Amino acid sequence: MKIILIFISAALINNFVLAYFLGLCPFLGVSKRSDTALNMGLATTFVTTLTAVITWLINRYLLERYNLLFLQNVTFILAIAALVQLVEMFIKKTSIALYRSLGIYLPLITTNCIVLGLALFAVIREYTFIESVFFGAGAGVGFTIALVIMSGIREELEFADVPEVLRGAPITLLLAGMLALAFMGFAGLLSV
Amino acid sequence: MAPSQKTYFEEFKKGILHENPVAVMLLGICSSLAVTNTVKNSLAMGLAVVFVTVASSALVSLVRKFVPGEVRIATYIVIISGFVTLADLFFKAFFPGISKTLGPYVPLIVVNCIIMARAEVHASKYPVISSIADAVGMGVGYTWVLLAVGTVREILGFGSIFGFTILSEKVFNPWIVMILPPGAFITLGLLIGLINYIKSRKHRISL
Amino acid sequence: MKSSSASMIIALSVTAVVVGGLLAGFYHLVHPRIEENRIAEERMAIFAVLQGAENYDIIEKEIAGARGKKEAVRIFKGIDKEGKTVGYAFIAEGPGFQGVIKMMVGLNIGSKKLSGMNVLEQVETPGLGNKITEERFTSQFKNLSIEPKIEYIKNKKPEKPNQIQAITGATISSKAVVNGVNNRMKLILDILSPKMKIKEG
Repeated sequence: MKIILIFISAALINNFVLAYFLGLCPFLGVSKRSDTALNMGLATTFVTTLTAVITWLINRYLLERYNLLFLQNVTFILAIAALVQLVEMFIKKTSIALYRSLGIYLPLITTNCIVLGLALFAVIREYTFIESVFFGAGAGVGFTIALVIMSGIREELEFADVPEVLRGAPITLLLAGMLALAFMGFAGLLSV
Repeated sequence: MAPSQKTYFEEFKKGILHENPVAVMLLGICSSLAVTNTVKNSLAMGLAVVFVTVASSALVSLVRKFVPGEVRIATYIVIISGFVTLADLFFKAFFPGISKTLGPYVPLIVVNCIIMARAEVHASKYPVISSIADAVGMGVGYTWVLLAVGTVREILGFGSIFGFTILSEKVFNPWIVMILPPGAFITLGLLIGLINYIKSRKHRISL
Repeated sequence: MKSSSASMIIALSVTAVVVGGLLAGFYHLVHPRIEENRIAEERMAIFAVLQGAENYDIIEKEIAGARGKKEAVRIFKGIDKEGKTVGYAFIAEGPGFQGVIKMMVGLNIGSKKLSGMNVLEQVETPGLGNKITEERFTSQFKNLSIEPKIEYIKNKKPEKPNQIQAITGATISSKAVVNGVNNRMKLILDILSPKMKIKEG
């Protein structure tokens, strides 16, 4: 089924982080510990899925209808910012612990390129509503997978002797490169 | 009252190396990797970011006294996304080839943390000329890092620079991996490592 | 000092209106140019797949497309300097490896052969999938028979007049092109000559 293909493609074959280079700021910042990584990933997945819904609706019933497509960037990012605010308030009310552990990274989901990126990609590829939802969910899941794997590797790396100039961002990027190479192996996982 | 008084040149200079937005502050990494497979794309993206950063910082600085603190992030978002759309339309109209290649990464400049960060950290607190100097410095700092990555990737991945073949296929079999994601990550990682090294040496010399 | 709601709303609204206005203005300024670019590119592609065409007419037909949206199908009738028809061109799409592949296809309806294929849009892997834009691949579509439908063959030279050889290591991209053409072909033939039928399958 096409939507399953879309989901798996977004999550693995064309992983948003490792193939499209989106979601890297939090990737470099949050990926140090596995549990924060997982929480961040799940919160982001929640946002990406809802974003897919909202941006699809905005595009179809506002922008296309009134010939305002040039306002796409502005409306999409405002919608995302508002959505993240709402999610933040929701999490604060339901789980203070989760809210605290995510800290500053929660509002930063707004500037996570993955969120705006998937909204734009879905529009370019002319996905239907359901396809967009699965696409958004897949993007978030893929981000979570990459984030969790990376945090696992970085936790191990704490005990390795990394040259000083490579500590932090450089070694993370080099690792991401190798991870990206590995994920390229998913190409052809599902025949189209 | 502006906290520190630097000369305009100092404001400009800091973005080039010491507070380089990509290599030091680790902002704007997404686009640094996505569009750097050729020098031409790197240059186009760099210029677009310079334009948006300067225009946004200038406007944010101009209106800084009129925008209440609570809604400042929202106003930044509107301003930045507005200028990004302008840049996108400009490419589509006058450089359609580049617009096709850069694709959705131009609209994605909106979430390029560099611009938001400069608006919040600098433009919202300092006068216009200072903000413009800061923005230009950051933009140039971003652009040169992109050009460096782009040059390495294009030479090793296509054997050319800016489309001009310098290593023909007979002499050098291109490393396709450089054009693909892994090559981007590795090149940028090594470049940041190199910059860290340069910074640490400068620090040692000045001690 | 907390700001009043009024000042917050005013600041945000004024910004939004000014930015929105600026965008609307610039958009209307450059929109014609963007349209021109699109048409120029289309023109180039049409002439690339219809040899001998000096100009073209557009045949447009509205059909019920996928997802319930109405779709306007355009067929470009190429004409030479004497006004004779040299062939028909149409746009086809296929799902490639990284995204949608869009191509302009030229058809010679009398001989039931393609006169060419030109890739309009693709985001395939550089060095592999994006070889579909190279002459070595696209030239295979000149004089390619469309009966019963076009096919691709791997690792061998084409054996039948309706076959092309897929790019080694880029089967998915090659397949997308072939499927895209086939999927559209039936519709195009239906529009152009309702009496013509091709075998199903």
